[in-house]
Amino acid sequence: MPRVLIADDEPHVIRVLRLRLEHAGYQVETAANGAVALDHVRDHQPDVLITDVQMPRMTGRELCEQIQAELPDRKFLIVVLTSRTEVEHREWSRKLTNTRFLEKPASMSQLLAMLDDYFAAQLPIPGGTP
Amino acid sequence: MKQTGNWKRERLGLLMIAASLVAIVFLVILLLAHQRDSRESAIRTRGLNLVQLLSGMPVQELLPKDGQRGLLQVFGYGQRSTEIAYAGLVDPAGRVLNGFTAPGVIMPETKIPDEPSSWLAEQPRDADGRSVIEFHAPLLADGRLRGFIRLGYFKPTLKIGYEQLPFIASLALTVFLLTPIFYLLVKREVSPLRAASHQIDVLIRSDTFQKVDLSATGELSDFLQSFNRFTERSLQRIHELESGGDSLQTSNMLLSYKQGRIEAVLQALPEAIIVLDETGAATYANAKVPGLLGIKRDEVVGQLPREWCVEPDLLAYLSRYQHNTNRGYAEPAVVFSHPQAPEKTIAATAYPLFSPHDPSQTSGTLVVFRDVTQEFMAREARGEFVAHVAHELKSPLNVLHLYSDELLEMGSGDEALRIEAVNVIHDEVDRLSTLINNLLSITKIEMGSMSLDRRRVRLRDLLQDAMESVSRNGRDTDLQFTLDLPRELPPVTVDKDLLRVAVNNLLTNAIKYNRPGGKVTLSAAETDEAIEIRVTDSGIGITHEDQAHIFEKFYRSNEEPVLQKPGHGLGLSLAKQIIDLHHGRLNVTSTPGHGTEFTIELSKEEDLVAQVI
Repeated sequence: MPRVLIADDEPHVIRVLRLRLEHAGYQVETAANGAVALDHVRDHQPDVLITDVQMPRMTGRELCEQIQAELPDRKFLIVVLTSRTEVEHREWSRKLTNTRFLEKPASMSQLLAMLDDYFAAQLPIPGGTP
Repeated sequence: MKQTGNWKRERLGLLMIAASLVAIVFLVILLLAHQRDSRESAIRTRGLNLVQLLSGMPVQELLPKDGQRGLLQVFGYGQRSTEIAYAGLVDPAGRVLNGFTAPGVIMPETKIPDEPSSWLAEQPRDADGRSVIEFHAPLLADGRLRGFIRLGYFKPTLKIGYEQLPFIASLALTVFLLTPIFYLLVKREVSPLRAASHQIDVLIRSDTFQKVDLSATGELSDFLQSFNRFTERSLQRIHELESGGDSLQTSNMLLSYKQGRIEAVLQALPEAIIVLDETGAATYANAKVPGLLGIKRDEVVGQLPREWCVEPDLLAYLSRYQHNTNRGYAEPAVVFSHPQAPEKTIAATAYPLFSPHDPSQTSGTLVVFRDVTQEFMAREARGEFVAHVAHELKSPLNVLHLYSDELLEMGSGDEALRIEAVNVIHDEVDRLSTLINNLLSITKIEMGSMSLDRRRVRLRDLLQDAMESVSRNGRDTDLQFTLDLPRELPPVTVDKDLLRVAVNNLLTNAIKYNRPGGKVTLSAAETDEAIEIRVTDSGIGITHEDQAHIFEKFYRSNEEPVLQKPGHGLGLSLAKQIIDLHHGRLNVTSTPGHGTEFTIELSKEEDLVAQVI
């Protein structure tokens, strides 16, 4: 079962994402900010990291750039899910490898379709089919 | 000086007197010379005739005889002694046989030439230092030479005889009488010249040049008329030049006045100004240049930008205006940092200065430097504010979107989830509404369009209402609410709704950031100067670092307990702005881990003023 790590400071967002992703067959872990998420990644790399940008203590950008620095050969997908739609945020996320940008408010079906496409392209699918 | 002047003036008269004297002397000399020549001519004629006459006489007649005087003596005494020097009969050898001489005169010796042709002749002689004309003729007897008759006449000299004195005197008198007449005539002719000369002297000495009108008769008339015309033309020309000079002076004054005014305007401008000429060299820099650019004015004026400009972007910008006379538009401003103070942002804009005579040509460039630090900060702040607002609006929208999506997806399956979704949507709409209201209030206050609706309000009632409302919302919590108000609290003149928002925001924070079983107290007190409203909690407290920022818009602490609570970072900012609008003070004291106290101070003095208004 692919593991998804969600980093967001909004509990309602985490709640709905978790609900739908678990329903779709993913194993979900959550972090309330970038710093907690980084600890999770260091302990055990997920198959997908879904992260907000504006978070306390460590922003999504800092988290991604830190992961890029620590794990240059990272295999897992990063989805930047944010309401910060300024060009600069698209720019920095575009420079990272294996990273997608999704604008809030996004529909769950949009997110799930993106993950389906991603895992369909990954052969063999890590952790089995969702 | 005056004597010299007089002498000069009378010089003509003196000259004429001198000339008349010379003329008299000359005439007298001429007269005397003529008389002398006439006498000499008469002597010659008479002498020759007489010597021939005597030579024809018999010798015996000539010589004295028997105690009687000979002819020669008779002749000699008969003649005027002033003319005859001597008369004598000499033998052929030259010896004097008989004769007489004038007193004091000795007959000079002579040798009569042998040739008969020379026997009758005249010869000049010298007798005792006096010139004598001698006539001699042969004495013949019986065809034989017996001797010679010598007759000597004094040669006439220039001398004035007594008889001539009346004539000479009358001549001199005539000349003397003519002299003043001539003098007057000449003076009459010369006097206009003298007058002209005097007037010209006056003109030269005086500061102003005036018209002169000289008149004369005769030859001088034409000359003076020409001279008058000349002075008239000169005067006309002088007037023209003077009026030209006047207008030039007026133009100069006007120009310097205009220049002064323009300079005053340039100095008064809040911007730093540098004017470049066509070559790009600076011709003017106002007093703001040193302050804004950190360069002395004399380091700029007369120099090309590369001499004083260290900012590469600015240098490139200004160099585009160098030697470019056809550039007819201003380029967008170039923005750079102050060389000595990098936090300062300066914008430079160059404006071509069009020639007033040919608008297609530029006569230089006006460079305006503005301190845009505030503008830039404001622009950045505005951008940040908009980004924050967008984010804060989008966050609840996102949650709404997710839950509504969820509701659609699940249909009527999961009742618990449906209730959760409805509750979340309800809360998020409330949150959104509060956020929008706060944003509107803050924006209105910041734009200055929020006008206070100040009225006399019973503070006690206002605080009671606020406390009741908040404690009702917080009834699900185990917090202890205390309202500590004195029995008597004076009315205040405030905008009731706004003050209620401020107190409400403080109370909401006191509940939100409290701890289980904590306390929330709302109290009020009256001091000499102010009325103080206190909101005290026993919550998590605010760190010292955060205390410096809590009143900033969208500021949220990074402390974990704070982050766990929803919030936009606008409540305290709005409360602060509302109290500021009432000219009051909002203070905070806090001990992390123990609690926080916010104090609103409403000045009594300010309240009095508000009442009057």
